[in-house]
Amino acid sequence: MTAQIALTVLLAGVLVYAGNERRRSPVVAWLSIVAAVAGLYCTWVPDHATTLAHWAGIGRGVDLVIYIWVCITLIVLLNLHLKLRTQMELVTELARTIALAEARTQPVRKPERRRLARRAG
Amino acid sequence: MADSPRIWVVIAAYNEARVIAHVVGDVARRGYHVVVVDDGSGDGTAEHAATAAAVVRHPVNLGQGAALQTGIDYALHQGADVIVTFDADGQHRASDIERLVAALREAPADFALGSRFLGDAIALSTARRLLLRAATLFTQLTTGLRLTDTHNGLRAMTRHGAEKIRLRQNRMAHASEILAQIAASGLPYVEVPVRIEYTAYSLAKGQRLGDALAILLDLFARRLYR
Repeated sequence: MTAQIALTVLLAGVLVYAGNERRRSPVVAWLSIVAAVAGLYCTWVPDHATTLAHWAGIGRGVDLVIYIWVCITLIVLLNLHLKLRTQMELVTELARTIALAEARTQPVRKPERRRLARRAG
Repeated sequence: MADSPRIWVVIAAYNEARVIAHVVGDVARRGYHVVVVDDGSGDGTAEHAATAAAVVRHPVNLGQGAALQTGIDYALHQGADVIVTFDADGQHRASDIERLVAALREAPADFALGSRFLGDAIALSTARRLLLRAATLFTQLTTGLRLTDTHNGLRAMTRHGAEKIRLRQNRMAHASEILAQIAASGLPYVEVPVRIEYTAYSLAKGQRLGDALAILLDLFARRLYR
């Protein structure tokens, strides 16, 4: 029972996390929700977990729960990667703004051919 | 488009000190405005480019896609009517720019995309040719654009077209992203035969087979968040 409660608390945390991420990365959020709900189901209906595990070719129900937990970990890692990409986009915008602001303070170079033509004239 | 359009050539460069002055000089001699976006180079690329071009410097290396978007933003701000993207490694010919710009006017179209398979690809290896063919097929399937070449850095766009482009793929996947955005814009496009001359230098700087996987992963990851 202690393990079931601990897993339930953790999986409930995953559901809250998924809810918060739903607007920013819906795919990751839905994957997390599916995995967390499957984990909760297997935690509280272990007989079904064992049946499902046998059906999936896994020895025990508890192993199935562990595998689901591994999946959740990978999904969260993917989400962290996506967050890093979002941060990189912000860095890019910042660097671009700085670069353009510095460039705009410099005089614009005229095309060479026109300058040469003027010189010849 | 104006009768005498203000043409800006955008060149993204990262550690290209060996060749950039020659590339920029060749383009500038033909009367085009040139902006080189130095993407955080550490070899004096900006100083070499500044002999014949406006230079915008990224404070850190961000990638070719990010540099091109910076260059497009700069050119739009300078009042460009036509923007041409051009590789810094010397594999493109400056004389092809005129053909691209003429195609925009004659089609008429908002995007003119260079195709090495309609034109010439000098010293293109079989492996690279197959890779590019696979990329072209992928682009046709994912965007619906009927193209013969993708990941060709030589392209021209009208001001109207450029305003529809917002590259968020900083690295090599920008070449696929720009085609996806062209398709999404619904604006007319045309392919133009161009000549690409591979040299030992440009091949060393170019993409490899492993990059194709990274590009696919980048494109996939970009679909997972807003």
